[in-house]
Amino acid sequence: MNWNIASKNFRRQGLRAFLNVLITALAIIAIIFMLSLLNGFQAQATRNLVSTDVGGGHYRAPGFDILTPTKWEDITAPVPEVLKNLSARNKAEVLVQQGQLFPGRRLFPVQLRGIAMQQSLLHLPLAGLKSFSGKSAPEIIPAVVGVKMANKARLKKGDTVVLKWRDKGGAVDARDILIVDVGDFVNPRIDAGVVWLRLDHLRSMTGRDGEVSWVAVREYLGAVPGFEFHGIEVLMADLLALLNQDRINSKILWGVLMVLVCTSVFNTQVLNIFKRQKEIGTLMALGMDARRVVKIFMLEGAIAALWALALAAILGVPFFVWFQGVGIDVTHLSEASFPVRETIYPDYQPREILVSVVIVLVLVIVSAWALVKKIARMDPALALRGKAIT
Amino acid sequence: MMAVKNKITFAAGIFPSLFFYFVSLGATEEISAQKLLELVDENLWAETKFVSGRLIIDNGRKTRTLTQDSWMEGFTRSYSYYKSPAREKGTKMLKIGDKLWMYTPRTDRKILIAGHLLRQSMLGSDLSYEDMMEDHKLSHSYRATFSAQGFEDFAGVRCAILNLLARDKKTTYQTRQVWINQGENIVLKEERFAKSGKLLKRVLFEDYEKIGDRLFPRTMIFRDMLKENTRTVYKFDNIEFDIDIPARYFSQSILKR
Repeated sequence: MNWNIASKNFRRQGLRAFLNVLITALAIIAIIFMLSLLNGFQAQATRNLVSTDVGGGHYRAPGFDILTPTKWEDITAPVPEVLKNLSARNKAEVLVQQGQLFPGRRLFPVQLRGIAMQQSLLHLPLAGLKSFSGKSAPEIIPAVVGVKMANKARLKKGDTVVLKWRDKGGAVDARDILIVDVGDFVNPRIDAGVVWLRLDHLRSMTGRDGEVSWVAVREYLGAVPGFEFHGIEVLMADLLALLNQDRINSKILWGVLMVLVCTSVFNTQVLNIFKRQKEIGTLMALGMDARRVVKIFMLEGAIAALWALALAAILGVPFFVWFQGVGIDVTHLSEASFPVRETIYPDYQPREILVSVVIVLVLVIVSAWALVKKIARMDPALALRGKAIT
Repeated sequence: MMAVKNKITFAAGIFPSLFFYFVSLGATEEISAQKLLELVDENLWAETKFVSGRLIIDNGRKTRTLTQDSWMEGFTRSYSYYKSPAREKGTKMLKIGDKLWMYTPRTDRKILIAGHLLRQSMLGSDLSYEDMMEDHKLSHSYRATFSAQGFEDFAGVRCAILNLLARDKKTTYQTRQVWINQGENIVLKEERFAKSGKLLKRVLFEDYEKIGDRLFPRTMIFRDMLKENTRTVYKFDNIEFDIDIPARYFSQSILKR
């Protein structure tokens, strides 16, 4: 009975009800889209970092911190036996040193990264280095740079350029390097300002035989004497902090959208009650108690919320399906060293969507109820004359 | 038979003589090259120095002139104060041992120049901070030998060319070559090499002038050979040797406004 009355009343509101439903539906779509895009960004950034740099974590030489470039050059150590025994698919030995490149006889400070060629843990476009062999670096040292680095230093495949570096003792050395390939790195952090070399070459160049700055591993192997373990969360701390901040920002936007939705619902209810005072007065005069009238008006709010949900599904699902196919191009972000430089796709989390939808529905119903509770205190005689609310 | 015996006796006599001749010749050369380097050091070296000069930096596009005063004590301590241009005025550098601090008035902060920063170009010049910090006796750090060329005419003077090989594996430049005017015991040109033998820096010493009992170059021209069209000229306008330097000049407390 209540449902039928509420449903009829809702339909009679016409355009006003439709606009209410539309705004709520668009808000639901916007919230789901925003959260899913953030999820997609985080998932892709994590995937890129893990597959190109972090792996399952790093066992690092004690005290090594990539953010203190004046110190880390000399923080290298021989690979511990436990890590040495790991297979090439479970580890990647990396040695990082400072260098100076002179493209076009201009000075360009660079990070030299030597990585074991046998490793298959990290996916890096270094195939060009594999054909070179030998423990010691040849007269002209083969190197790979990323697209970003190549653009900045104006280098191309086949170029020969002078590289200057220090050996372990501190003696300066310089030799020509040959750019054997310009690789397409999906992670700009290991592209800009980085020159990739074979690990055996970099070791022989710097006199650091058997030494590494870190060993990337597939999974945590427990404490390794002489080395410190840095997990994915630690190695991605800056990115996670940034994404957390983004989530806080998205919540603010979410809040703004909700205020708009609730204002719309509230506004409709104000109009409803104001314009329908006589109807309320008649219902109460015919014996309907105030609580039932409140229930009917609340049901109208609930019906609006349910229609909004249905409309969100009708409009949103095709949009989300289409967007999942095309994604969003974020190549511009690589300039800001985000580890994502390809198209990102939203990552829809059912639980997150459900929670968001429930919150929207509850807010809509609560904002509908907030005003109609006044009906309970209404004098039927005044309501019949349209003077209960002025 | 007798003739054969005589030949053997002759050979037995001549070969050791030749061997000792060459060995002693080599030893003499090495000692004299080292001695020559010591004489060069003796001429230049002073326990304390004050230098007021100009650093003229030409990066190939434009030229800047920096004026500075420097006080040096032994191998380990030096303090420089930059007087102009306005952009660099008030910049101070303090070297104590193997550490270098820089103070800039604009930031009102002192920073420790360490690690790879030491290898960066100093104020855009052809000198790295490390080059600037370098003040040691070549004869202590290097073993000198005459180069295969021996002698060469340079700037109209017959110069002995010495190859210098670092005694310590930690020395920045493992090999150098110096052109020395033997008559005056002064260096006219120096080249610094990477371990691989690649030429990295060239320094010309010009305008030698008698200051006290020393011959000192008024002008040093540095060129980073890995860069194009750049050079840095260091002109010494005023030089004083064996002076008293206030202790506060070599204290970190001087690194403030």
